Amino acid sequence: MTLFNDTRHLFVRSLKKLIRNPILIFFSLFQPIIFLLLFTQLFSKFAQAPGLFPAGVSYLAYATPGILLQNGFSSALQSGTSIVDDLNTGFLQKMLVTPVSRSAILLGRLTADAFRVTVQSVIIIVLAYAIGFSVATGLLGILAILAIVAFFGLAWSGISLALGLRTRSAETVFGIAGFLSFPLLFMSTSLVPQTAMPAWMQSVSSVNPISFAVNAVRDLSLPNYFSAGDVLAAVGVIAAIAVVTLGATLYLFRKVVS
Amino acid sequence: MRIDSVFDIVFDSLIKPLCLAGVSILSDIITVDDLVEVYGDGTKAVQGISFRVGEGEFFGFLGPNGAGKSTTIKVLTTLLRKTSGRVTVAGYDLDKEPQEIRKLIGAESQETVVDGDLTGRENLKLQGNLQQMRGAALEERVKELLKLVELEDVADKRAAFYSGGMKKRLDLASALVHKPKLLFLDEPTTGLDPQSRARIWEYLEGLNRDEGITVFLTTQYMEEADRLCRQLYIIDQGKVIANGSPEELKRQVGADTITLSVVGGEKDGVKAEAKQTLSGISGVTKVIDSDGGITAYATNASQIVADIVRAFDEKNMQLSSINLARPSLGDIFLQHTGKRIRPEELNTKPASGMRFARRRPARE
Repeated sequence: MTLFNDTRHLFVRSLKKLIRNPILIFFSLFQPIIFLLLFTQLFSKFAQAPGLFPAGVSYLAYATPGILLQNGFSSALQSGTSIVDDLNTGFLQKMLVTPVSRSAILLGRLTADAFRVTVQSVIIIVLAYAIGFSVATGLLGILAILAIVAFFGLAWSGISLALGLRTRSAETVFGIAGFLSFPLLFMSTSLVPQTAMPAWMQSVSSVNPISFAVNAVRDLSLPNYFSAGDVLAAVGVIAAIAVVTLGATLYLFRKVVS
Repeated sequence: MRIDSVFDIVFDSLIKPLCLAGVSILSDIITVDDLVEVYGDGTKAVQGISFRVGEGEFFGFLGPNGAGKSTTIKVLTTLLRKTSGRVTVAGYDLDKEPQEIRKLIGAESQETVVDGDLTGRENLKLQGNLQQMRGAALEERVKELLKLVELEDVADKRAAFYSGGMKKRLDLASALVHKPKLLFLDEPTTGLDPQSRARIWEYLEGLNRDEGITVFLTTQYMEEADRLCRQLYIIDQGKVIANGSPEELKRQVGADTITLSVVGGEKDGVKAEAKQTLSGISGVTKVIDSDGGITAYATNASQIVADIVRAFDEKNMQLSSINLARPSLGDIFLQHTGKRIRPEELNTKPASGMRFARRRPARE
């Protein structure tokens, strides 16, 4: 009960901070929206080239799942910087002098992150619908997509949180996590199918966890594409990442707490 | 062996120590025995400090930067694990029941910590929530505190817009939200202007006097320690140098000083006579020339001022000035370490929050 209430209070705090700094949401939505509005137009003719992209699928329909995951990335990045903020201003220590549940400090953060990614995903999906995107599996599919993206965001939050706790530097979090995100995104099936890649990149992309996640989202959004196996594989891969990154976060957090 | 001598032995070896221990448990809200804190890099921040703080006490650590004051507070407020020693706070063992201790203490760290994105009221409510308070009782308490620290007018403005003094007051209020029995303040007025400092002092005196809150304060300012603390430990390099009430400590230094000048004192004859007159007064231990005229040392200056004036009167010498100075806490530090305490101002960093928007501090 204490855990639940403490988590709720800290969740609300995180959301208030976010709403009052809308520029942060702007920064993490900026790139995905540029991709959505410009990239999909820029590449629209390529998708019609025979043999590279699935037949009858527009580039918008192909790339929107990748853009949703990119959005998961970029907001998860800011998760680590906010814990660095609390560490360096002493707010974390101020919380630790109270009897607040220790787990709630992390849980409040993570639930707020998941909530935020979901809201951003909804914004992107609405925009995408406006320019012609649709999800073949309907409302249930959209809910499943939101859940996958949020879960993916959580796993990535773990990386930035662990980096933040370890280095206590917001610049490092942005630097390292930002450095990781673009190569991982490009070497996945987010924006281009494997058939359009050089051979070496094909092999990277087939083990790239982002490919698993994006394939699942694509299964849910493209018509006649659904495969429960892909979705389960994605959930499994994301869960494996989450265990590692959130485990590292928990370990580093325990060290800070005691 | 007679029965009453057996009783005496039993009483002396068992019952009496137990009773004494019982009394000390009841009346001491903090007990620290041989506390040692060694950091990971080998820095010995605290090197075997022991002390007791009685309930309702206004207790202080005075020392320069790096003396181990903050480290001690971090250990006592459960933020830092001690290397060795035995510590109880409010009757609870620090290692075994930190959660119980956290419910009873309030702490304010050296840096002012408020969430700049939240309003003053929201900061206090969040702090209350973390202390497991809620509902109408919390609302009421928050109102009460906003009034106490005179922040009612700006209660619904974001704390990032507050001035340094206002943030400090908000921080103090948030340490009080759950009515703690014991308040830890790590350099509560470092970096504040004299006016804000005086205001904080008034609150602290009021809390201790009217609500019976035990206060443990650290400071680099002799003036602050002198005014607020009834029990004072002077700390340097992780060790206790001296302890007692400010009065006792100053008495340890010994002499007060009386500096006076006489009309016509620039003439050698007059000055020599004045010095001779002073030396003849009982209580005066030493007379020297000083830049203010003549300085005499005496153990209890205030009681012999009248004698001095009378003696000069009898010899028809006119005093143009007379000054008494009590020994200061700085003299004690000087005596023990050969150094002066020089307070260093903190580098006050802007509080957390918006990094991209421009902000102006609100006017008080």
